[in-house]
Amino acid sequence: MRTITLRPLASHLVPIEAEALTADGLAKLSVEEMETLDLWLGNRRTKLCDLFAIETDGGPAPIEETTIILDGDFSRVKRIGERMSAGEIHALGDLGMHAGAGMSGGNILVKGSASDWLGREMRGGSIEVKGDAGNYVGSGYRGERCGMRGGSILVRGSAGVFLGEHMCGGSIHVLGNAGDYPGAANGGGTISIGGDTHLPGAEMTKGSISVGGRTTVLPGFQFQDEVEVEGLTYRRYVGDLVENGKGELLLALAQQSA
Amino acid sequence: MIIKGGVVYDPANGVLGEEMDICIDGGVVAEAGGGPTIDARGMLVLPGGVDAHSHIAGPKLNAGRIMRPDDGRIGTEPLRGLCRPCTGYTVPNSPAIGYRYARMGYTTVFEAATPIIESRHTHEELEAIPILDKGALTLFGSNWTVMECVGEKDLPKLSAYVAWGLRASRGYGVKIVNPGGGEAWGFGSNVKGLHDPVPEFNVTPAEIIHELARANERLCLPHSIHLHFNNLGKPGNYTTAIETLDLLKDIVPSRDRQAVHVTHMQFSAYGGTGWRDFESKAPEIADYYNKNDHATMDMGQIIFGSATTMTADGPLEYANARLLHQKWSNHDIELEESSGVVPLVYIRGSPVNAVQWAIGLELALLTEDPWKVLLTTDNPNGGPFVKYPGVIALLMSHKRREEEMAKLPEMLSKRSVIGSIDRELGWAEIAVMTRAAPARVLGLKEKGHLGVGADGDVSIYEIDPREVDPGSDPALVERAFTQAKYTIKAGEVVSRDGEIVGIPQGRTFWTDASVPEEDMARLMTSLKEKFEKYYSIQMSNYMVQEAYLSRPVAVRAGVEVAQ
Repeated sequence: MRTITLRPLASHLVPIEAEALTADGLAKLSVEEMETLDLWLGNRRTKLCDLFAIETDGGPAPIEETTIILDGDFSRVKRIGERMSAGEIHALGDLGMHAGAGMSGGNILVKGSASDWLGREMRGGSIEVKGDAGNYVGSGYRGERCGMRGGSILVRGSAGVFLGEHMCGGSIHVLGNAGDYPGAANGGGTISIGGDTHLPGAEMTKGSISVGGRTTVLPGFQFQDEVEVEGLTYRRYVGDLVENGKGELLLALAQQSA
Repeated sequence: MIIKGGVVYDPANGVLGEEMDICIDGGVVAEAGGGPTIDARGMLVLPGGVDAHSHIAGPKLNAGRIMRPDDGRIGTEPLRGLCRPCTGYTVPNSPAIGYRYARMGYTTVFEAATPIIESRHTHEELEAIPILDKGALTLFGSNWTVMECVGEKDLPKLSAYVAWGLRASRGYGVKIVNPGGGEAWGFGSNVKGLHDPVPEFNVTPAEIIHELARANERLCLPHSIHLHFNNLGKPGNYTTAIETLDLLKDIVPSRDRQAVHVTHMQFSAYGGTGWRDFESKAPEIADYYNKNDHATMDMGQIIFGSATTMTADGPLEYANARLLHQKWSNHDIELEESSGVVPLVYIRGSPVNAVQWAIGLELALLTEDPWKVLLTTDNPNGGPFVKYPGVIALLMSHKRREEEMAKLPEMLSKRSVIGSIDRELGWAEIAVMTRAAPARVLGLKEKGHLGVGADGDVSIYEIDPREVDPGSDPALVERAFTQAKYTIKAGEVVSRDGEIVGIPQGRTFWTDASVPEEDMARLMTSLKEKFEKYYSIQMSNYMVQEAYLSRPVAVRAGVEVAQ
């Protein structure tokens, strides 16, 4: 096992682009090599050592046996864990936008909250957020027809709007509330929302969305029957018929209201 | 500049693989020259590439860019050296179009379609494309004034309008897209065939095409009519193609060129009654071309992967968007056209896409004379132009085609004849299809060859045609054509080993055609009324001013030139 700990040297208003911060990118490097990695502070190219203090135990290790600990406020640092294939990232505080974008394996654990585009277009691996997550969790990027394709995201707090927009696979669990339009244009993933949300499943064609709290059902959904899942009774709808969709919308009976 | 010792293919001048020096002086090919020397020993030397049909500028490109932020993410290149930042794959930003063509050894590219009223924008974008010489073809096929003149059987007035429209748009030639269909689309319908009258105008597509061809020759324009057939993209449409070509047999070309250029023939060589029994009719089309000499075509080859279709054929794009469940942009262009943009993906597993892929290649391989078939992908409708080298490899190597066919559905062998074609094109034939023929088809006398007086546009590829067998080594061919060792534009090296080292501003060709004053006067009377009653802008604001072309080249034509 190798543990690499990064601590911000200062706080920045200008966002930092840090797609180099993955187990794939750091595992095989010595501290000296890590220090010279390129990061962008706004439109200025800079070095990793200018922004973060690096601490590591031991030398280069396989990617799977590498854990990166982000100790401090990383809420202005974007693209952490982008395209990672293995290894661990533990954020003790908050993470910035696009964390875990396009990742295909490994784990990201966020003790604080994550920002927008968490796990967008991810293909595998898992992300867990103890706090809240921003908008477009597990979604496709602008113009794309396929967002998250695999892996899992767990948000213990609440998530923003367009949760899992255009997702094609994988699963997202939000224990709290979700903003408007979760699962918009869902093409095959599974979304479960513990709390309230608004207008789930617009234009969905496949996949499944379940809502534990209150919500509003779009007119493109047709009621089918009542089903029992893990001891709870749900009203099951199929839609979005606007798109001739075969998606499944499950609304917990006890708390449902129009 | 002297290019020393290269293996030169200049088929327009009968040079087929001779080792010789090429001299460039004052931007043109000369008997002798001085200055820098380029050692081209063991390399293939060709005239600069010419693309006669590519969508590279205008509002429809921007519509594609706006609709496809996902495309912008592909192909991003940061600011580097002389190059501005680049984005995009099927719809790149304007500078990227110039750099990417130049890297492949292309130096001249013509924008395939611009409505007159939107030409100012087209020229602004053309100006933003560095290096290349350019021109734009102007749309006339669904234009109210054109249809009125055709209805009145007034050829002099129609000629006057074509001449005026070319001046107004600073356009190079007459483009006709699904004639009449653009107007019918304004009423939510389409013209079904050549003899189906256009709503409210009582003229047929056949009449529009034939009269525009006559006007084109009366004006002695450098290029022939440039035709996108009716019923394009529909199964069974090859009969429309042949019927339309028959219609134009009596047109006598006013210059040494074809009477009609048919664009992206692949989309018009379809058999079957629907998508289920969809099949290739390329052999029938190629057979027609082998027996007749009045027409040329370009392939419109499809490339598996992402494409962005954009055309003035509005009803076609509506059908595409519905069939493929895709994003759709639809546009009505006042008294002139309709248009649409739809992104799509050509998939190897799709039987229809596999047959389309085969049709493009069959057209090029079954037509005996390479001067009749230009290599295009109808960029970006069939796929982006950066994939031309892959198409060249397919045409030159039976082995490469078999490798590709192995990845396609088995039914392909029943719906096409691609598997039975052994022909492999040679270096000279590729030089014709990508250089000499496009220049001749467009009527550009100084392009596409390396004779004395030709433009000093040369591409040099790091491949020795005397040693490499393209049939067994298609990968080498593809690699060489993807990145020219040197691309030379008007005697200046613009690209070397894929790096852009010069960004001269290219020229823009347009056709300045004269007509008798009395014809123009008659035309103005009816045009004034249209601007007063229907157009959203004044006639004085409609014309593209000379200032929009930083390096214009006016090609003289007109009734007087014809006489």
